[in-house]
Amino acid sequence: MSGLYEMLIKGIKETLYMTLWSTALAYALGLPLGVILVATDRGGLRPMRGLNAALGIIINIARSIPFLILLIAVIPLTRAIVGRMVGSTATIVPLTLSAAPFIARLVESSLKEVDAGVVQAARSMGASPMQIICKVLLPEARPSLLLGAAIAITTILGYSAMAGIVGGGGLGDIAIRYGYYRYQRDTMLITVALLVLIVQAFQEVGARAAKRIDRRI
Amino acid sequence: MPEIILQTRGLSKRFATGDPVLEDVDLDITAGEIFGLIGKSGAGKSTLARCVNFLERPSSGDVLFEGKPLSSLAPRDLYKARRSMGMIFQQFNLLMQRSVLGNVLFPMEIAHWKKSKAVARAKELLDLVKLSDKENAYPATLSGGQRQRVAIARAMALSPRVLLCDEATSALDPETTRGILALLRDINQRLGVTIIVITHEMLVIESICTRVAILDNSHVAEIGPVREVFTHPKTEAARALVQSDGRAERLLRLIESNGLTVEEVLSRVGIV
Repeated sequence: MSGLYEMLIKGIKETLYMTLWSTALAYALGLPLGVILVATDRGGLRPMRGLNAALGIIINIARSIPFLILLIAVIPLTRAIVGRMVGSTATIVPLTLSAAPFIARLVESSLKEVDAGVVQAARSMGASPMQIICKVLLPEARPSLLLGAAIAITTILGYSAMAGIVGGGGLGDIAIRYGYYRYQRDTMLITVALLVLIVQAFQEVGARAAKRIDRRI
Repeated sequence: MPEIILQTRGLSKRFATGDPVLEDVDLDITAGEIFGLIGKSGAGKSTLARCVNFLERPSSGDVLFEGKPLSSLAPRDLYKARRSMGMIFQQFNLLMQRSVLGNVLFPMEIAHWKKSKAVARAKELLDLVKLSDKENAYPATLSGGQRQRVAIARAMALSPRVLLCDEATSALDPETTRGILALLRDINQRLGVTIIVITHEMLVIESICTRVAILDNSHVAEIGPVREVFTHPKTEAARALVQSDGRAERLLRLIESNGLTVEEVLSRVGIV
């Protein structure tokens, strides 16, 4: 029993490790992409039709590749970056790549919610496009961005469980190895329950934080 | 010879689709005046307001601010020029995630002021608009009139020479409107700021403007001192505006401003 307990603790740690790192790295890529999508859009701060369309298409293509296929397709890249192709750290590479375009869209939709009048007011005060992004769009969209982050993190958590199929580590890995391959139903149920709890926790914390920092009420 | 602070020359704006919104608009705004721009909705007022500080680039023609053509300015210099032209809006357009103080600080942050200097200036401005007690409040908790006061303080932060008011009182009730107009008049008199008032409301023009231009169907139909244009409208557009908008209200105000009541006036002319 203590063996199972230790295994689950290790699984939780691995899952959190993969999820948090992937989310952070995916935001490092996705946030600027989302900003570029908004800024280069028609009527945006710096309309650039070609770039906007090209970026949109690339993001859509990346988003339509099934995660399991991406996971296998990027193995050479994973190996080049991490030095190995299995384990939690290796899983971060495909997770990041698959989440970044999704996050770009989340960020795009959050920034588009910002009132155009406020942007116009900032322009009338002589704000440059960069200042408008940093001092108007991002701060004004903060609650919505935070809600988006809760969605992103829970989605990435779900994907991280899929990585168990190729020995990615974490709770998903345990669920597949013990629950699916060895028919240990209890282990699988406990693992799934843990995943549900973690998702609930992230969602709840994100929603509450978004509400608490929002000054519009 | 009074200084001309702002000029539009042959200003035209045409969007990708449809008819021109503005055609060949020539205006000369004198430093220190309160200039009114009135017209029906769809006449092109708001587009003109946004063209004045190049938020919207004119399709042709130019705007000269202190003699400098805005079209010749590089982006950086245009941002600088805009800092000399404050602007307030119908919907206030405050930053909802910033406190009142934070909103007033915003333009000074944009202009890279030192924090301590900016805070001192912001407090001074909040005092000017009589909102010192609200500096830590957030816009969502303020009334419309209070929000517009914050917007005015914010627009005045960088000591602009011109203040553009785009339908600034159109979302406010009559009493609040009077308060905001009194504040604008005060700013004009005490600080010498040139004010351009864009509105569809005759009363606003009558209350504070010295001169008025009537915008009709993308053109300036008539321009002159408020009293002259309103008492002797020369064009059809001006007549339509003067006659359709708030005659009864203006009559009442005229009576009241002479210290009379409606009953007294009616009895004097022998109606009652």
